[in-house]
Amino acid sequence: MPSAFLGVLVLNPASSLDSMLDSMLVLAATPATVAKAPIIAGDPLALLVPALPILGLILCTLCAIFRVKSKLPAFLTVACLAGAFVVTAKLFTGHDGGVSIASGFQWMTLSWGEEPGQRFIADFSLYLDSLTILWMLFVTGLATLIALYASEYMSHDVGLGYCRFFAAFNLFVFSMACLVMGDNLLLLFLGWEGVGLCSYLLIGYFYKKPSAVAAAKKAFIMNRIGDVGLILGVMLTFVHFGSIEYREIFAAAQPYIDLAKAGKFSEIPAIVQLIPILLAVGAFGKSAQLPLYVWLPDAMEGPTPVSALIHAATMVTAGVYLVARTYPLFLLSEYALPIVAWTGALTALVAATIGMAQFDIKRIMAYSTVSQLGYMFAGLGVLTSTGAAFHVVTHAFFKALLFLSCGAIMHGFAGQLDLRKLSGVGFMKGWGVVGLGMFVGCMNLAGFPFTAGYFSKDMILAEAFVTPGMAPIGWILLLTAGLTAYYTFRVFFRVVVGPMHYEPGDELHHAEEDSHGHDHHGASEADAAHAADAAHGHAHTHDDHAHHEHGHGAHFHPHAPGWAINTVLATLSVASIAAAGLYFVKSPYEGGMAHGGAVPGMVERSSAAFETPFSHHGVGESHETIKEGGHEGADGHAPAHAEGGAPSFVPTSIAKSQGEAAHAGSFLGWDPHKVMYYVSGVVGFVGIFIAFILHYAGRRTAATARADALLPAFGPLAGWAQNKWYVDELYDLVVRTPLWIVANIFHLFDKIVIDGLVRLVGGIPRFIGGMVRPTQSGELHGYAAGMAAGVAVLLFLVFMLTMR
Amino acid sequence: MLASLILIPLAVALAIVVLPAASARATALLGTLAAAAMTVVALVQFDWTQGAVMQFLASVPWLPSLGISLSFGADSVSMLLIALAALLGPICVLASWTAITERVKTYYAWLLILQAAMVGVFVARDLIFFYICFEFTLVPMYVLISLYGSTNRKRAATTFFLYTFTGSVIALAGLAYVAWFNSTLPFDQMTGVGGSWTFDISTLQTAASNHMNLAQQSMVLLALLCGFAVKVPLFPVHTWLPLAHTEAPTAGSVILAGVLLKLGTYGIFRFGIGYTPDAFVAFAPYIAVLCIIGILYGGLICWVQTDVKKLVAYSSVAHLGFCVLGLAALNHAGIQGSILYMINHGLSTGALFLLIGFMYERYHTRSMKEVGGLAAKMPVWATFMVFFVMASVGLPGLNGFVSEFLCMLGTFQASDSWSLGLWGSEKAATIGATRGNLGPWYAAVASTGVIIAAMYLLIMVGKVVFGPLKEPGGHDSHGSHGGSHGGSHGGSHGGSHGSNGHGAAAHGHSHLPADLTAREITALMPLAIACLVFGLYPTPLFQALKAPVNEAIAHVYPPPQLETPGTENQPGRNDPTGLIGSVGTAQEVSR
Amino acid sequence: MMTTLAQAGFPAAMHQITLAHYLFISGAMFMLGLIGFLTRRNLIIMFLCTELMFQAAGLALVAFSRFHMNMTGQSFVIFIVTVAAAEAAMALALVVLLFRKRESLDAAEWQEMKG
Repeated sequence: MPSAFLGVLVLNPASSLDSMLDSMLVLAATPATVAKAPIIAGDPLALLVPALPILGLILCTLCAIFRVKSKLPAFLTVACLAGAFVVTAKLFTGHDGGVSIASGFQWMTLSWGEEPGQRFIADFSLYLDSLTILWMLFVTGLATLIALYASEYMSHDVGLGYCRFFAAFNLFVFSMACLVMGDNLLLLFLGWEGVGLCSYLLIGYFYKKPSAVAAAKKAFIMNRIGDVGLILGVMLTFVHFGSIEYREIFAAAQPYIDLAKAGKFSEIPAIVQLIPILLAVGAFGKSAQLPLYVWLPDAMEGPTPVSALIHAATMVTAGVYLVARTYPLFLLSEYALPIVAWTGALTALVAATIGMAQFDIKRIMAYSTVSQLGYMFAGLGVLTSTGAAFHVVTHAFFKALLFLSCGAIMHGFAGQLDLRKLSGVGFMKGWGVVGLGMFVGCMNLAGFPFTAGYFSKDMILAEAFVTPGMAPIGWILLLTAGLTAYYTFRVFFRVVVGPMHYEPGDELHHAEEDSHGHDHHGASEADAAHAADAAHGHAHTHDDHAHHEHGHGAHFHPHAPGWAINTVLATLSVASIAAAGLYFVKSPYEGGMAHGGAVPGMVERSSAAFETPFSHHGVGESHETIKEGGHEGADGHAPAHAEGGAPSFVPTSIAKSQGEAAHAGSFLGWDPHKVMYYVSGVVGFVGIFIAFILHYAGRRTAATARADALLPAFGPLAGWAQNKWYVDELYDLVVRTPLWIVANIFHLFDKIVIDGLVRLVGGIPRFIGGMVRPTQSGELHGYAAGMAAGVAVLLFLVFMLTMR
Repeated sequence: MLASLILIPLAVALAIVVLPAASARATALLGTLAAAAMTVVALVQFDWTQGAVMQFLASVPWLPSLGISLSFGADSVSMLLIALAALLGPICVLASWTAITERVKTYYAWLLILQAAMVGVFVARDLIFFYICFEFTLVPMYVLISLYGSTNRKRAATTFFLYTFTGSVIALAGLAYVAWFNSTLPFDQMTGVGGSWTFDISTLQTAASNHMNLAQQSMVLLALLCGFAVKVPLFPVHTWLPLAHTEAPTAGSVILAGVLLKLGTYGIFRFGIGYTPDAFVAFAPYIAVLCIIGILYGGLICWVQTDVKKLVAYSSVAHLGFCVLGLAALNHAGIQGSILYMINHGLSTGALFLLIGFMYERYHTRSMKEVGGLAAKMPVWATFMVFFVMASVGLPGLNGFVSEFLCMLGTFQASDSWSLGLWGSEKAATIGATRGNLGPWYAAVASTGVIIAAMYLLIMVGKVVFGPLKEPGGHDSHGSHGGSHGGSHGGSHGGSHGSNGHGAAAHGHSHLPADLTAREITALMPLAIACLVFGLYPTPLFQALKAPVNEAIAHVYPPPQLETPGTENQPGRNDPTGLIGSVGTAQEVSR
Repeated sequence: MMTTLAQAGFPAAMHQITLAHYLFISGAMFMLGLIGFLTRRNLIIMFLCTELMFQAAGLALVAFSRFHMNMTGQSFVIFIVTVAAAEAAMALALVVLLFRKRESLDAAEWQEMKG
């Protein structure tokens, strides 16, 4: 059984004498002998970040218990989350770039001896470094905004459902805080599963809809598959390092990091190299990467604010966070980062192709999220954790914006999301902000020059070409960038601009609550006639489903978003544009690298950098050698990179496949960092232009566009893409159905064989009883004869034995 | 002190028999509350810093010629399980408040007697006393199932009784063999072993673990497993459980899942590890394989169930698989996790049975085909349901995770191959590893059970709690007075458009409102709070269990310094009252 | 029983009737009773047959008691006779009851204990 792990055997071929000597050196520097990293007590204020959402949760629960029938829970939530954001901001301003630990209470801490490794410590303590703060800033900030948006969006459900929604919302932010801020892998896992639970509860918010329930279930179970990988990784980490606290792990991993830097991967034991691969499985599950991505599009069954917050901006980036946080471990494995890179790139491409063929705009956004997450993973894989993190931040803003805009449309058009049935929305009365939001979001997503998405995507693309051996990934990502621009603007040109036309949705989410229309319009400034019309429309929805689709065309009026939605959309639009500015802002910490802007500057001071802050104080300096001349600031793409060469620290597999490690990767002979700005800009333009030609120019109706004529050219491909490459069906065929059959067989086996055996055992006495039963005839003479015969036999025996 | 925990329920049972039937349930409630209060007193008086030491020792000679006595004593493991039993007592009475309407006196009297017998198992320090209590739990349970169960109750009760009884008789043979073996040993002044008949649990432990050879220990262990594995139940001998659970009344299921199954794991911990440590080490991989089969097999069977109660019953097979897996890991994390699992499973699965019982009282069906989408009708019930399902699934932050994770961690760590080069570990330290015969592959396979658990429980939730509202229509026969009830309550949760007409009739029989009553919430709240507290702050439990678990491990794998003669006077090692102690030089002789 | 009665000091006049005679009579009575019990179906006759076997055993006891000059056997027989009397009263009462139920004394009428 031991060492039967084939993959690892491959990883760890028989070592030569040299490496054996080296391995002895490693043994000498076992993690146990490494001095403990000093603990710097963090600001206890940090504990408020998870505590405030919990307060919000309790308040919402109280609202539910006291049957509050107003928007109170929403405002309590907004207040709590805003408080958490303020606290995070305060942490940010007071942060010096170092690592500190804010101790909470003991959670799962047990010890069985005094030796290292005989203590399992998983405390409720918060790990405060720049990565944590960066993540929490956008998590709490976006959560506050989206809660405000949801206060209006969910208003049709005021009452128990409203409380339920915001309670889960608070719980989500709490879990996210645990995930991001926890100082050990198990607290991360608590948050990890916690966000999974909230995702489950919120996807299944419309619990009367079977599809929503199924989607929620699917999300949770798919996530669990990843979680098993993660938890096994946690256990392996503990078995190897004797601790699951980040600072201990990073300190203990130092000897290996030195080995990895020297390229001696064969001397890093398989046990260490396996850890990041297991962690990556968890990350792929949570961040919807290739084998495990199918749950995310289905998760769009949830209310749109949920999709925006959980399934676009924050939760799904948890996988990226995990990899970034445990980056030192990923650097130890020869295969972990290439796996991450290839998974990310392929996911990006596959999701983009599916996104191109969908008609439901929310689903398109979902696939684009999967695709962009693939980008982030690819970024991590090609050694630009800074770029990946930057993309996470910019993506969080513009994707939240896109989702919320879609949500506004869905809200206003009675659940209509089909881009063939909506057109020119941006020019309708009262829809300007939504149109603008869509525009800003689409520009960002498409990577239009000088938008935030452009800069962050560019960092990843350039690095993909720079990192030796990763050029194919760069090409895949570039292609994906073009596809992204196309499908993004396909939505924009179909829905936001063009001739004004709409059909209301066939599935009205406000069928949940009769009073919806009145409530909503009472709150907004819509005129009375409008409200009456809308109410009329609602009356129809309750009549007959088959009938109302036709009945609506005449009576339905879309209701434009109110102040809360508009405010949030406007804020997010501004934020998305402003996020580009982050690229030009200097690192908030002294001594940080000058290029890349504030976000990479923050990432760089954390464990996601190549050097852990514990081992090396000259972070800036060491980084310079690694990524010599990366982006030399915004003012110009200084040629520093040309002489810099490849990162000195890349997995050997990458370096070897490239041939000579000293030679920097190039983009068709040019320096990727310089060229990529133009290349990606051009690619984006081309994508947008194609979308313009195919979906806007000359379009007269909502339903058809020039693109339809091209469909036959793709043969069955288009249909396959529309059906999501039949991955769901494949899963069903390969995993679910066999398991189901096995389960049924087991059930029968249990009933027939196992219970049968038991009955057999129980039946033996019964059988024997049945055999001898006739002797009990009940007839007196029978008994007497038997007795006499018995006595006779006895006497006979006695005689035989004594007469001898 | 401990005797009072047995005597109070017995006295109350007597009172219930004497007093009129109308006051039976109130008396039972008061009695269980009194027992619970007494348990609290005991918990407060217990010296938790000395968790491994048997406390509250008391002994009354019974049959001195055979060395049988009524002796009591509890360490922290016993105390926690007693606390679990005491907590579930009042909850069971509350759960039966309206469900039991006939032969009330008999019901509550037997419930109280059951309570006494369960506590007896955990406090017994004499083998015969232990065994009597262990077996006596069968009688009340038999009565509860066969008189108050549902349609197939007679068969279920008989199966339950005969099945577990057969197993425990074999276990008795094993235990009797140990006592006989002890009586054949020459008397040892220091440990009190040998010379004459005794049934003192600690003395026999010393005798068995120190003087039996591996073959003898293996025989005893197999005999013990016959009894305890049936009770747990482990994989091939589990078929009585779904049947008994499905047919038992709600309170019966709660007790059965909550405490009675733990008698098996407790027995394995006390006697399997205590009496036959060497054999247990040798058998650990096989036991673990059975557990893992149980985890996957039970989980997959849950998937195809349509009866909610049966589903939860099969989930017990899977869950208890984790529990015993932790024991088989034979390291600190594993055994800690396992003991916590005993408690946590009692809380969460007990609560699930309560909730299903409440649903059954209202709808008279447990079939997922007939009910569905109850969240629309019973939001409070649905909230609790989701909460406890999550606890059962092992969501971090709730109690199930703590124990499940520790069991898996223990399994993962427990491999001698970690120090022998598994996965290149010859080049790396594996300082978090422990001795043992399991290892990462066991943990990896077992962990897929976590996915399956999520699958079947969420499918159940998806059908019963969520989805479109579906209520059984065929219950009009139960009473024509359903209209007003269902109508008023259905209306109060407005917007549930499915409740037109047929929903109303469903409430007819039980006179219960649509959602949970205050009484039912009272029954659930303590469990919910315990789930949350044990999930977020299990540290006190860890500390309470640290000493006995450490002793158990030292008993199985004696620390090296004990092997030098003359150092057996380690602090806490030769405590004659401790269950796992007195591992002296004799042990080395025998090995 | 190889010792003869003469050796045991019995008077000469008793020489002709030895223990063997008593045992023969006892055995004959027992066999008669047994055969009667097995062949007859009338409850009263069967009962009488059991009494016959009973007294056969009593006779053997008395004979042995006399032979061994040990009074225990004889005192036992006195008990047996007493008990047998009581038993006879009970048994006949039962037979009467049974007769009332079935209007027949046939033992085959009663097969309630059939397995």
